[in-house]
Amino acid sequence: MEALNKTEQLEAARALINAIEQDDDDRIKTELMALTNARESALFQQIGKLTRELHEALNNFKVDARLVDLTHNDMPDTRDRLNYVIQTTEEAAHKTLGYIDKTLPLANELKQTAAKLNESWQRFRNREMSATEFRDLSREIEAYLPVVTMHAGEIHNNLSEMTLAQGFQDLTGQVLRQVIGLVEEVETNLVKLVKVAGQPQQSGEAKVVDPLKAEGPQINAKNKPNVVNNQDDVDDLLSSLGF
Amino acid sequence: MKILIVDDFSTMRRIIKNLLRDLGFNNTIEADDGLTALPILNAGGIDFLVTDWNMPGMQGIDLLKTVRADPKLSTLPVLMVTAETKREQIIEAAQAGVNGYIVKPFTAATLKEKIEKIFERINAQ
Repeated sequence: MEALNKTEQLEAARALINAIEQDDDDRIKTELMALTNARESALFQQIGKLTRELHEALNNFKVDARLVDLTHNDMPDTRDRLNYVIQTTEEAAHKTLGYIDKTLPLANELKQTAAKLNESWQRFRNREMSATEFRDLSREIEAYLPVVTMHAGEIHNNLSEMTLAQGFQDLTGQVLRQVIGLVEEVETNLVKLVKVAGQPQQSGEAKVVDPLKAEGPQINAKNKPNVVNNQDDVDDLLSSLGF
Repeated sequence: MKILIVDDFSTMRRIIKNLLRDLGFNNTIEADDGLTALPILNAGGIDFLVTDWNMPGMQGIDLLKTVRADPKLSTLPVLMVTAETKREQIIEAAQAGVNGYIVKPFTAATLKEKIEKIFERINAQ
């Protein structure tokens, strides 16, 4: 049904008043229906227009190739990159810890043998040692010196490996920079989306944040008043609670 | 003295295990979150619990609360070693009955100090 113009509306309204004054129920119904239908038809037209606009906006948005690329390729890539960071750092930590496990017994053995030889040596210096015992000591010293050379070489090698294992920092740092770049790009695109969708809705309620939710390491802890910066702060806070 | 170490990162469990070994605690066992830690605790024989906060499954704070609510486990000493550094969280852990709270990254000296302090308190009781 076509929307009525102002004259037609006035005519329909007067006809309705007439009908009411004359208590003509059938005509009241007919005139009321005519007015309402006209009104609804205008509303439907408006909704149709809005739907068309929304459809076009979504289509335009879809043809933005970069956005399609972001959702299809970059987002899954980013997940992989972040998993890579976890994997690489885990490997590096295990590698370093492994070399520490290999090195500690070497250092301990050197220390213990040296302490034992030193004790014997002091007895020799104090002239408390028999000739037989001194011959034994000489043999022990002779056997110890090549072991020192060998262990020191191995310790050096292990320390070099530990240094090499720290290369993960370079690799993961680069990957994380890429992720930061992508996050910035997604942000820019989301701002565009908000503009396409019209005025952003003003949110009435503040976002509810659970203060106990685990967040992992805090970035920029210095700028967050509810975050402690080190173990001393933790200890102070706990002792202020009578802990 | 048998110690249960709970952390979702195997590297951190290994670091804590090595540090405890240097402190003379050779008997350690590991779990990767609260849900895997509970059966080990319930099986008995654990004398000390070291736990992270942020873990999948059951978080450390919930593990602490569960331990305190269980009559069999309620007196078990619990040391939290975590990257969670918000004041609300530290207060929550204290109120839930944690015995010590260490923030990551931490040093061997801090771990030694906190463990000694916990034992001093227990022995003084």
